[in-house]
Amino acid sequence: MSQAQAEEITEIEAKRRLLDIKSLDNPKALKLYRRFDGILILVLFTFLTLGIQIQFTLTAGDWDYWIDWRDRRWWPLISPFTLLLFCGAFTYGIWYRLRLPIIATAVTTLLCLVSWLSRYLNFYEFANFPMSFTFPSTYIGLAILLDCTLAMTRSLIVSAMIGGGLFGALVYPLNWSFMAPYKVPVEFNGTLMTVADLMGYEYIRTTTPEYLRIIEESTLRTFGGSVTPLTAVFAGLCGIVVYAIFLYAGSWINGLDKYAKRIV
Amino acid sequence: MALSNTQTATLETGADSKVAGHFKRNRFAYTAGAFALAVGAALRIYLDTMGFTVGTDYYSEEFQTYWMPLLYGEIIFMGSFTVILSVYFWMTRETDASSISKELELSRYWKLLGVFTVMGVWAGAIASNAVESDAAWHQVTIRDTDFTPTHIIIFYFALPFLTAMLIPTFIWTHTRIPAYMNKISLPFLAVVVGILMIMPNYGFNEWGHTFFYAEELFAAPIHWGFVFLGWSLFFLVPLAVQLFTNMGRLIAETTAEDYNQHSA
Repeated sequence: MSQAQAEEITEIEAKRRLLDIKSLDNPKALKLYRRFDGILILVLFTFLTLGIQIQFTLTAGDWDYWIDWRDRRWWPLISPFTLLLFCGAFTYGIWYRLRLPIIATAVTTLLCLVSWLSRYLNFYEFANFPMSFTFPSTYIGLAILLDCTLAMTRSLIVSAMIGGGLFGALVYPLNWSFMAPYKVPVEFNGTLMTVADLMGYEYIRTTTPEYLRIIEESTLRTFGGSVTPLTAVFAGLCGIVVYAIFLYAGSWINGLDKYAKRIV
Repeated sequence: MALSNTQTATLETGADSKVAGHFKRNRFAYTAGAFALAVGAALRIYLDTMGFTVGTDYYSEEFQTYWMPLLYGEIIFMGSFTVILSVYFWMTRETDASSISKELELSRYWKLLGVFTVMGVWAGAIASNAVESDAAWHQVTIRDTDFTPTHIIIFYFALPFLTAMLIPTFIWTHTRIPAYMNKISLPFLAVVVGILMIMPNYGFNEWGHTFFYAEELFAAPIHWGFVFLGWSLFFLVPLAVQLFTNMGRLIAETTAEDYNQHSA
């Protein structure tokens, strides 16, 4: 491409950009922009819902389906790991292009809504499990912390260090009030267990053998109360690392708004 | 007062009213979206009614009567839908991009967004209804086939139908919209290929399940292929950037003339 051609393109581009800015004063154009925004938000949010539902179900689903699965070691580690992974990739593009620190809150809210609907339709209506046994956990509070960190610091790195860390570390405290009634100790046939355990033994599922393998592994029952804070700190570290890695992945994907002449 | 109400009602239902105009512009999205929801609801009712009554024993006569014909019907419908539309869109493709006016180009973008809206409605229905119905099913039933009722609806219809819609849409976009003609949009391709590859991954998944058909751990590594392929949805952000860059320019250009005349 010659220099003259390059200059000509730049001139055309400059005119187009001027027209773009002028169109912001044009009510007819604004109406169409708003219509476009509405459709785009609907489409992006519905696909986000499908994406996070598939991702969460196939990585942390077992821990979220059942109250007895929400243990002190795996559930607070795996859940923020899988959520931050998904949020990181989308956050970069939406923050870089639109300066909107909303993705984590949007993703966790959509997951909450769709999980409640799905648990009711599928676990309660279809398979006849009680809702008190299968209700989903909440992560919205953690996401608000993450997004607020980004909004206040305007830095993806700082938001990963602080917000990602808090997101990972605070899963257990955020859900404690919902879970407390199920952690009450009961004695059943001479064995001490929790209410959640008792419910789990009453509802034998095909994951029960795997649950017993996980739950009885090593120190989960015997390491005293220090497992929960230890897991929280490790989950915080994982949150920082995973969120940062997928922000980077998001930056790579965000740069792919390109066209190819041919694929092979 | 009565006269005033009648006048209002007449205005609102008249052919030129805002509501009528809005419906006319978006009628494809409304009609096809409602049809998609009706199909989804019908399948859901069928699953609720027939899932546990005649769907637990593959070798029973009832299963062959009530479930296998549905599977064959789905495969024939989706295969025909994808092939016929794809071939039709390719055979009737535009050959001269310069003959397409800006107004026509913009109207085609709106059509594309209408199709994406229908896909979004379908994606939301899958997320809320389909994904965890399989999870709930496998917790109470030990499979004796790959063609379980929930698989027949999710694996062999709900998710593949997303691909069945995406492939013709990809071809239509690349043969009708000048910005996409004679080149390939990388993010669009990534979304289509990612969702498409979920289907071959069923083969791997079901082969893996033959080793532990009696247990169903949703977080098992054999399911992570679906998670990885679901990450193709990350490419929706650069695809949206392409769309709003192109459409923003077109809206500015097509509305500028009217606005200038009015301003003058």
